[in-house]
Amino acid sequence: MEFLLNFVERTGAKAVGWWGATFGVLAFLAEVLSTLARPATWNRATLDTIVKQIYFTAVQILHVYLIYVLAISWVIITITLSTARNVGLFDAAAEMIIRVLLLELLPFLTALLIALRSGSAINTEVALMKVNNELDALSHCKVEPMQFEFLPRIAGGVVSVIGLTVLGSVLTLLLAYLAIYGLSATGLSAFSTTISSVFSLPVLFGLAVKCIFFGLAVTTLPMAAGLETPKKLFMVPVSVLRGMMRVFLALVLIEVLSLALKYI
Amino acid sequence: METLPADQAAVVSPDLPLRANQSARENIALIPLYQKHFDAEEASRQARTLLEQLGFASIGDKRDPDMKPAERFVAKLARALILRRSRLIIERPGAMLYDIPYPAFLRELAARYDGAPATWEVFDFDWNRPLY
Amino acid sequence: MFKNLHLKVGLFVIAVLALALAFLVYVLHARGFFEQRLHLQLAAASAEGISPGMPLTFSGMPIGQVTSVNLNEAGGIVIKAEVSKSGARWLRTDSSFNLDKPLVGGAKIKISSPDLSSPQLPDNSTVLLLVSDPTQEIPLLIERVKNILANVEHITRQDGELNGTLANAKTITARMSGKYGVLEGVLGSEENARPVVNSLKNLEGLTAKLNEVSAKVDAMLAKTDRWLFAADGVSEQSKQALVQVRAMLADAQGSLKRVDELLKNAVAISADVKDGTQDLAKLRTDIDDSVRKANDLLNDINRMWPFGGDADMKLP
Repeated sequence: MEFLLNFVERTGAKAVGWWGATFGVLAFLAEVLSTLARPATWNRATLDTIVKQIYFTAVQILHVYLIYVLAISWVIITITLSTARNVGLFDAAAEMIIRVLLLELLPFLTALLIALRSGSAINTEVALMKVNNELDALSHCKVEPMQFEFLPRIAGGVVSVIGLTVLGSVLTLLLAYLAIYGLSATGLSAFSTTISSVFSLPVLFGLAVKCIFFGLAVTTLPMAAGLETPKKLFMVPVSVLRGMMRVFLALVLIEVLSLALKYI
Repeated sequence: METLPADQAAVVSPDLPLRANQSARENIALIPLYQKHFDAEEASRQARTLLEQLGFASIGDKRDPDMKPAERFVAKLARALILRRSRLIIERPGAMLYDIPYPAFLRELAARYDGAPATWEVFDFDWNRPLY
Repeated sequence: MFKNLHLKVGLFVIAVLALALAFLVYVLHARGFFEQRLHLQLAAASAEGISPGMPLTFSGMPIGQVTSVNLNEAGGIVIKAEVSKSGARWLRTDSSFNLDKPLVGGAKIKISSPDLSSPQLPDNSTVLLLVSDPTQEIPLLIERVKNILANVEHITRQDGELNGTLANAKTITARMSGKYGVLEGVLGSEENARPVVNSLKNLEGLTAKLNEVSAKVDAMLAKTDRWLFAADGVSEQSKQALVQVRAMLADAQGSLKRVDELLKNAVAISADVKDGTQDLAKLRTDIDDSVRKANDLLNDINRMWPFGGDADMKLP
């Protein structure tokens, strides 16, 4: 009986904790959106900080990212082509590559890379700002950190996920064409037909929405986790751990939902 | 320790640090930029002018960890002054200016500064009274 | 540093926007958004297996796709399709439209224009869509194979023609080995015996071929297990049919072996086998025909199986 009671109590505490965290994230997101909607936000200074964030999040790792896409795409394209050849489905290989790499794998891996690199940095920084009282100092000065600390990072994250995915996708398409048809223009019309049959307008729209959600997830979740940190220095690693765990769950959730919407 | 300062007061306190990843000038310029909605250049100019007035123009590009205690204090003071509130409260200056004779330093700064508020209120521990 | 940073970010953003826009225009172009299209209505008895987006191909090249599949007021099927202007010039009034549903891979509508000199197909015309589905044809084909093999069996059965002929041959042999009619059988042996020997050689070849057919059926059964059976048991029936076919082939083969044996005897003795020769020649043609038919059908089935091997098998 005692055990059962304990179990129920623990479950309740966990549920309340989860609800609190979810609510915190949603409230934070609402604040982000309301800041976005305010015209006063869109001044030169905000744009400058956004540019800086895009630089740190995307441009700085562009060459690393492209090499990494090159390697992954090459491996997957080669495997797909040789398998397709073996089972006599070579005609379907191009479509398979586009569907697997461009629609699912590349956006996901890009978001994961940004989460690992920038998401964790954002989480640590916000947690340290909280622990060091910097946020209190800003609120004493009646300056909202949202506009020059949080919003630019979120915008930078979203732009970076979309931008890197676009560049990576173009690279992958080129690679796939070369792998299938080689250095000749003969396969161009067949390749175009495959691409056009996969990328209907709803699919393109869905891909863009997915990338936006990925970008939001890899930036807002670490920020919200950082803001939740208690004012104790040793809680910073715990905060980062929680934030990154949530980012991972959110990425998987977004991916699964997008797949479910597309294929069910 | 005194009671908490009212909202109308600008406070310089060890508990209100500078934003660590921004330079002193950027820290000061945040206020005209985001509270009074000046553009970036004007905000930066105001911050520079204020620092020059206090005699610390050289710290403009330094970040928090690179500053000496006095420089850090001046940056915080400038940030409080640029708020243009009716009172200025300096809390426990001894905790921020631990390596110099701070009452004299404070008087020197106050003499250089000629804007509002004209009087600065200093809150310090009772046992430091003989210093003033 | 700051200027440089802005430049880099500017380059990045412009590159991304330009590529994204270019890709969008490219996809729209590839989807024929900027191209005039020829609209077609396809008439079919059932819309089963037809879905929007299914490609229309001419000589294996995609030239258009199905845009919508609907029911009209009267409950009929309305399939609308679009063909690009460049592809539309291959469409003629006598073009045929075939729904091609391979066992593996996506279904498509195959267009063939037998006579490219006939007039162009006008916009918004309605054409008939022919539906052929190998999965539905396989049981029928197997039924036909069965019939043919039943025929073979009929020929080789205990009281059938072949046995009759063999009995005949036996009688002759007996006659030849008897006291009286020794020389009768040997008369003109050179000319008379040659066709008999030839026929018998052929029969041997035939037996070997039957062996091959039977091996083929075996191979096909293995394939059935691997592919068809896995693809949600479409062909439990087909498989059983094939088992029967195999049994029958084995049977036929057994009969032919017996024939062989007896005939070898006959040749050894070599006598007047005029009657027998004629009989045997006719019999051989019969079996030959049957086996060829069976073989053709097996090849047909084999071809329809997606991973078929060689489809040629020559008869003697």
